[in-house]
Amino acid sequence: MNTKLVTGDSGVKRWFYQRLTGIFLAVLLIVHFAVMHFTGTGETNYQIVEARLASPLWKTFDLAFLAFALYHGMAGLWVVIDDYVHRDGWRLLIYSAAVLAAVLFFTLGAVTIITFRPHIVWFPPKV
Amino acid sequence: MKVTFKIQKFNPENDTKPYMKEYTVATHPNAAVLDCLNDIRWHQDETLSFRRSCGHAICGSCAMNVNGKNGLACQTLIKDLKQGVITVRPLPSFPIIKDLVVDLDKFYAKFSKVIPYLNNDGPVPEKERIQLPEQQKIIEESTTCILCASCTSSCPSFWADDDYLGPAALVKAFRYVFDTRDTTAEKRLKMVNDKNGVFRCHTIFNCNEACPKDINITGHIAELKLALVTTKM
Repeated sequence: MNTKLVTGDSGVKRWFYQRLTGIFLAVLLIVHFAVMHFTGTGETNYQIVEARLASPLWKTFDLAFLAFALYHGMAGLWVVIDDYVHRDGWRLLIYSAAVLAAVLFFTLGAVTIITFRPHIVWFPPKV
Repeated sequence: MKVTFKIQKFNPENDTKPYMKEYTVATHPNAAVLDCLNDIRWHQDETLSFRRSCGHAICGSCAMNVNGKNGLACQTLIKDLKQGVITVRPLPSFPIIKDLVVDLDKFYAKFSKVIPYLNNDGPVPEKERIQLPEQQKIIEESTTCILCASCTSSCPSFWADDDYLGPAALVKAFRYVFDTRDTTAEKRLKMVNDKNGVFRCHTIFNCNEACPKDINITGHIAELKLALVTTKM
């Protein structure tokens, strides 16, 4: 059978990990919803998020959320491109753009989560 | 009762593209679409071309698209269809040879890729190869496929890329992969372990809708995917 450029692999790993990340995402989403909307005061503001992000445990949780969601979404996008883009040149271009976007999103998200330090006043009041 | 049919006609010798033609047939609610097509061909338009053979839903020749749904014309009764004009088209996404007759060469070529026959490298037994009833039960549903192509032609993944093996070939792969008397399962699994194999299936379930034999095709393909994940090759 013909195997086209870029995706010479069969997709068995991608298929399996998309299911796996899907299960993880479902669990993480339930926790996320419970924490955000069904416990505490039901209010979400900077102080609450700040307190949560001060904990390494929550940082890990959010990083895992970011990684799983990106993998899951990208695996899906990959398959859509595979289905509808038949020309090798276009394929390569769109795959590259997708990978670039994924790396960019992950970096942005990871930098935000990891480097977040509470009690930083971005806009100090003028004296 | 009188029923109006709108049938897609196309003669590559005269027409540049397919067009719809209307026919009115005097028929009975219990008649099948195939009976009406026969009536039209015998009494109204002898140029109307379609495949048919047994008329009893076992040969798979008369698969076509009736009112937007793939199925066998001989199994589709007038009383089960929505009242009004009945639209008949050839199976979608296959090249049309004439009217309702489509070119299935590529379909059969893909079918033969999955080695659709029993292989056993072991010694030939004195009598038959034994299979237990519970082992037979696993493959029973998949053995009822009549190769009508309704499923493959209803699959959006196949519409998007006709390099896809298609549900019909994958059901046949399942039928022999899980047959306890067969010894070439690995070869077949390697064949379907391809992006144009099982992983083109995105569980849309159109094939299940179309199958005149009610085979759970999507389920069978999912079993193949699982086998690929769990088998070390």
